[in-house]
Amino acid sequence: MGKLTGKKLLLLGERDGVPGPAMEACFQSCGAEIAFAVTECFV
Amino acid sequence: MDLQNQQRIKDAAEKFGAENVVVVLGSSDAEGAEIYAETVTAGDPTFAGPLAGVSLGLPVYHVFDPAIREEADPAVWEEQIGMMEMVLDTEALAEAVRKMREEHSKVTL
Repeated sequence: MGKLTGKKLLLLGERDGVPGPAMEACFQSCGAEIAFAVTECFV
Repeated sequence: MDLQNQQRIKDAAEKFGAENVVVVLGSSDAEGAEIYAETVTAGDPTFAGPLAGVSLGLPVYHVFDPAIREEADPAVWEEQIGMMEMVLDTEALAEAVRKMREEHSKVTL
Protein backbone atom coordinates (compact mmCIF):
# COMPACT_ATOMS: atom_id res chain seq x y z
CA MET A 1 0.00 0.00 0.00
CA GLY A 2 1.41 3.36 -1.00
CA LYS A 3 1.88 6.44 1.15
CA LEU A 4 -0.89 8.24 -0.68
CA THR A 5 -3.51 5.52 -0.34
CA GLY A 6 -6.76 6.92 0.98
CA LYS A 7 -5.56 10.54 0.79
CA LYS A 8 -7.26 13.36 -1.08
CA LEU A 9 -4.82 15.02 -3.44
CA LEU A 10 -4.96 18.75 -4.08
CA LEU A 11 -2.87 19.24 -7.22
CA LEU A 12 -1.62 22.76 -7.86
CA GLY A 13 0.09 22.71 -11.21
CA GLU A 14 1.79 25.48 -13.12
CA ARG A 15 1.70 26.16 -16.82
CA ASP A 16 5.47 26.62 -17.09
CA GLY A 17 6.21 23.77 -14.69
CA VAL A 18 4.12 20.65 -14.29
CA PRO A 19 0.45 21.30 -15.20
CA GLY A 20 -2.43 19.95 -13.10
CA PRO A 21 -3.71 17.43 -15.68
CA ALA A 22 -0.22 15.89 -16.07
CA MET A 23 -0.05 15.25 -12.32
CA GLU A 24 -3.62 14.01 -12.33
CA ALA A 25 -2.75 11.41 -14.97
CA CYS A 26 0.30 10.22 -13.00
CA PHE A 27 -1.53 9.76 -9.70
CA GLN A 28 -4.77 8.36 -11.09
CA SER A 29 -3.91 4.83 -9.98
CA CYS A 30 -1.91 5.45 -6.77
CA GLY A 31 -4.81 4.73 -4.42
CA ALA A 32 -5.52 8.37 -3.62
CA GLU A 33 -8.53 10.36 -4.66
CA ILE A 34 -7.86 13.51 -6.66
CA ALA A 35 -9.95 16.21 -4.99
CA PHE A 36 -9.00 18.74 -7.66
CA ALA A 37 -6.28 19.54 -10.14
CA VAL A 38 -5.66 23.09 -11.35
CA THR A 39 -3.01 24.87 -13.37
CA GLU A 40 -1.95 28.38 -12.53
CA CYS A 41 -0.06 30.62 -14.89
CA PHE A 42 2.10 33.61 -14.19
CA VAL A 43 2.22 36.35 -16.77
CA MET B 1 -1.61 32.01 -5.30
CA ASP B 2 -4.80 32.57 -7.23
CA LEU B 3 -7.54 33.63 -4.78
CA GLN B 4 -9.99 31.08 -6.14
CA ASN B 5 -7.49 28.28 -5.58
CA GLN B 6 -6.85 29.48 -2.04
CA GLN B 7 -10.56 29.10 -1.39
CA ARG B 8 -10.55 25.62 -2.92
CA ILE B 9 -7.69 24.56 -0.66
CA LYS B 10 -9.43 26.02 2.37
CA ASP B 11 -12.71 24.28 1.54
CA ALA B 12 -10.98 20.92 0.95
CA ALA B 13 -9.04 21.17 4.23
CA GLU B 14 -12.26 21.91 6.13
CA LYS B 15 -14.20 19.18 4.36
CA PHE B 16 -11.66 16.34 4.54
CA GLY B 17 -9.43 17.39 7.47
CA ALA B 18 -5.74 18.36 7.24
CA GLU B 19 -4.60 14.81 8.03
CA ASN B 20 -6.44 13.41 4.99
CA VAL B 21 -5.22 15.74 2.28
CA VAL B 22 -1.88 16.14 0.52
CA VAL B 23 -1.04 19.23 -1.52
CA VAL B 24 1.23 18.55 -4.50
CA LEU B 25 2.87 21.46 -6.31
CA GLY B 26 4.06 21.61 -9.90
CA SER B 27 5.81 24.98 -9.69
CA SER B 28 8.69 25.69 -12.06
CA ASP B 29 10.80 27.89 -9.78
CA ALA B 30 11.91 27.40 -6.20
CA GLU B 31 10.80 30.85 -5.03
CA GLY B 32 7.28 30.31 -6.33
CA ALA B 33 7.15 26.82 -4.83
CA GLU B 34 8.14 28.26 -1.47
CA ILE B 35 5.37 30.87 -1.57
CA TYR B 36 2.80 28.23 -2.49
CA ALA B 37 4.01 25.96 0.29
CA GLU B 38 3.89 28.83 2.76
CA THR B 39 0.34 29.69 1.68
CA VAL B 40 -1.04 26.20 2.40
CA THR B 41 0.84 25.81 5.68
CA ALA B 42 1.37 29.16 7.46
CA GLY B 43 -1.10 31.28 5.46
CA ASP B 44 -1.07 33.67 2.50
CA PRO B 45 2.11 35.80 2.85
CA THR B 46 0.60 38.51 0.64
CA PHE B 47 -2.46 38.80 2.92
CA ALA B 48 -4.66 39.09 -0.16
CA GLY B 49 -6.66 35.89 -0.22
CA PRO B 50 -8.89 33.62 1.84
CA LEU B 51 -5.82 32.00 3.45
CA ALA B 52 -4.49 35.30 4.86
CA GLY B 53 -3.86 34.67 8.53
CA VAL B 54 -5.11 31.07 8.21
CA SER B 55 -2.49 28.45 9.15
CA LEU B 56 -3.83 25.24 7.69
CA GLY B 57 -0.56 23.35 8.28
CA LEU B 58 -1.29 21.01 5.38
CA PRO B 59 1.22 18.40 4.23
CA VAL B 60 2.73 19.89 1.08
CA TYR B 61 5.21 18.36 -1.37
CA HIS B 62 6.64 19.26 -4.74
CA VAL B 63 5.79 16.67 -7.37
CA PHE B 64 9.57 16.08 -7.79
CA ASP B 65 9.99 15.13 -4.13
CA PRO B 66 11.09 11.47 -4.17
CA ALA B 67 8.31 10.56 -1.70
CA ILE B 68 5.69 11.71 -4.20
CA ARG B 69 7.46 10.80 -7.41
CA GLU B 70 7.69 7.14 -6.41
CA GLU B 71 3.89 6.96 -6.06
CA ALA B 72 3.33 7.99 -9.69
CA ASP B 73 2.67 5.58 -12.52
CA PRO B 74 6.16 5.34 -14.10
CA ALA B 75 4.98 5.06 -17.71
CA VAL B 76 2.59 7.99 -17.40
CA TRP B 77 5.25 10.01 -15.56
CA GLU B 78 7.69 9.50 -18.42
CA GLU B 79 5.11 10.59 -20.94
CA GLN B 80 3.64 13.56 -19.04
CA ILE B 81 6.41 14.89 -16.80
CA GLY B 82 9.69 13.32 -18.03
CA MET B 83 10.55 16.30 -20.24
CA MET B 84 10.04 18.90 -17.50
CA GLU B 85 12.04 16.76 -15.11
CA MET B 86 15.03 17.13 -17.41
CA VAL B 87 14.88 20.92 -17.66
CA LEU B 88 13.87 21.96 -14.13
CA ASP B 89 16.06 21.97 -11.02
CA THR B 90 14.13 19.18 -9.32
CA GLU B 91 16.25 19.03 -6.18
CA ALA B 92 15.99 22.76 -5.50
CA LEU B 93 12.21 22.63 -5.99
CA ALA B 94 11.73 19.69 -3.62
CA GLU B 95 14.07 21.29 -1.11
CA ALA B 96 12.26 24.67 -1.13
CA VAL B 97 8.96 22.96 -0.34
CA ARG B 98 10.57 20.65 2.23
CA LYS B 99 11.86 23.61 4.24
CA MET B 100 8.40 25.16 4.45
CA ARG B 101 6.85 21.80 5.28
CA GLU B 102 9.27 21.14 8.10
CA GLU B 103 8.67 24.57 9.51
CA HIS B 104 4.90 24.89 9.20
CA SER B 105 3.11 21.63 8.33
CA LYS B 106 1.20 20.03 11.16
CA VAL B 107 0.93 16.75 9.26
CA THR B 108 3.39 14.94 6.96
CA LEU B 109 3.26 11.65 5.10
